[in-house]
Amino acid sequence: MIHLAYLDAGSGSLIVQAVVGGVAGAAVAAKLYWRRLVDRFRRQPTDQR
Amino acid sequence: MTTSPTGVRPEPASFRDPANRVFHVGDEVLRGLNAQAAEHWRTLAASPFFPTLVSAGKVCATEDAPPTMVPATTGTPWAAVLRHERIPFVSHPYEWSFGMLRDAALLHLEILRTALADGFTTKDGSAYNLQWRGAKPVFIDIGSFEPIRDGEPWAGYRQFCQTVLYPLLLTAHLGVDFQPWLRAQVDGIEADQLRPLFGGTRRLRPGVLTHLHLHGAMQQRNAAASTSDVKAQLRAAGYSRDLQAATVRGIEKLVRRLEHRPSGSHWTDYQRTCGYSARDRVAKEQFVVGAVAAAARPRLVLDLGANDGRYARLAAGHADYVVAVEQDPAVVDELYRALRSEGQQRILPLVVDLADPSPGGGWRGVERAGFAQRASADVVLALALVHHLAIGRNVPLPEVVDWLAGLTAPGGAVVVEFVHPDDPMATRLLANKPEGLFPDYRRDTFERLVEARGRITDRLELPSGTRTLYRAVMGG
Repeated sequence: MIHLAYLDAGSGSLIVQAVVGGVAGAAVAAKLYWRRLVDRFRRQPTDQR
Repeated sequence: MTTSPTGVRPEPASFRDPANRVFHVGDEVLRGLNAQAAEHWRTLAASPFFPTLVSAGKVCATEDAPPTMVPATTGTPWAAVLRHERIPFVSHPYEWSFGMLRDAALLHLEILRTALADGFTTKDGSAYNLQWRGAKPVFIDIGSFEPIRDGEPWAGYRQFCQTVLYPLLLTAHLGVDFQPWLRAQVDGIEADQLRPLFGGTRRLRPGVLTHLHLHGAMQQRNAAASTSDVKAQLRAAGYSRDLQAATVRGIEKLVRRLEHRPSGSHWTDYQRTCGYSARDRVAKEQFVVGAVAAAARPRLVLDLGANDGRYARLAAGHADYVVAVEQDPAVVDELYRALRSEGQQRILPLVVDLADPSPGGGWRGVERAGFAQRASADVVLALALVHHLAIGRNVPLPEVVDWLAGLTAPGGAVVVEFVHPDDPMATRLLANKPEGLFPDYRRDTFERLVEARGRITDRLELPSGTRTLYRAVMGG
């Protein structure tokens, strides 16, 4: 269980609000995950050097 | 609770947001603001939405006060001090019925939606942001308003789920009373605590898949990510203020769909089944009205075991405010809905089991004051109650009388009904206990106990001859 402090919005709680925000929200969430994925692939060659 | 030599008492429930702090000075409720919070307050006070909400009674009335009225807690003096309207009796969400929590939720969401349209948001989403004026909820946490930062979702969403939405889902979808859950955890119910109860087809109930399961899973997957990183990612991905408003409207729509109307319990039908004759009832009502109106107009009346609120309503005709306490959440909910439809703002119904009242909770057990710490009434009504405690719950009779005296302000009065051991209701309760268990449950013993703690000013034996009413001035 994750105990989050008061006034800590919680990372997952922020993202889920995009997901529940209808089509436009889902598009934002999809974009966020896409960017995370792209960032991971971009970072990998640098890490291997 | 500590009081400084100047008579300033910091509110024990107000420390989690260091930007502001609530203090009590005599009867006044004051809030110190740091420089940033003071700046937010000035923008808020000048906004179009805030004064409208205050004049509609949806947000507690607030005005500027001299900054010297409360001492600094960190060495830096407060940049501003606010004076708030006093709430007649502070209650906690675990003392509210389902309908009360639901209406409080809808008010919180309405306030947030209105604020968003004017460029403000609330930094938290706690059920504790709300209090009551009778059967009307009021938003009290002025320090929670702050200007919205574009591209950020509602920071209070998680807290709103834990302290408001999950308790409502628990009761609406599973028929489980939320009060014991909220009472046990000051921060509310965690998603992971509730998820195991919503398996199978229950996942498909309104709000469960998204706000509970998906939310819980997202929390786990993103536990390592900082909120500032995630906010930046959401902003870059195009999260907008309109999206936040749409999410709030969605939650509002969901909360409106949540309903819980339990079938009648033993107590919901109690007034009809409790065995009073019409003559008893008339005599009892006259006695209660006379006893409440006997001295100066009471500021606060506590009606213990209020049931359908018949006597709370009579008392409200002669007192400033009545707190009607009842243990059965279904009965309180019925009473609340009736009072709400009457627009009643001077009777507050609360769920409290008097043999197990709300204890102190949160930090050091004082952040959320226990029922006994808050209850100090000018008149205490204990009608058809003593036998339930003394026989039903085995509380020794002297303790019951001590407890009633403890709930009464100095010089205040107790209006108490003693049900004789040969009354049909007492006989029914006694029949469930081993014989001879309560030899001291007698009228003369009871009178002696009351007289040892106060002065009996009036007494009336009801026409049926098995119940006696007393008015006693305690400590007098």
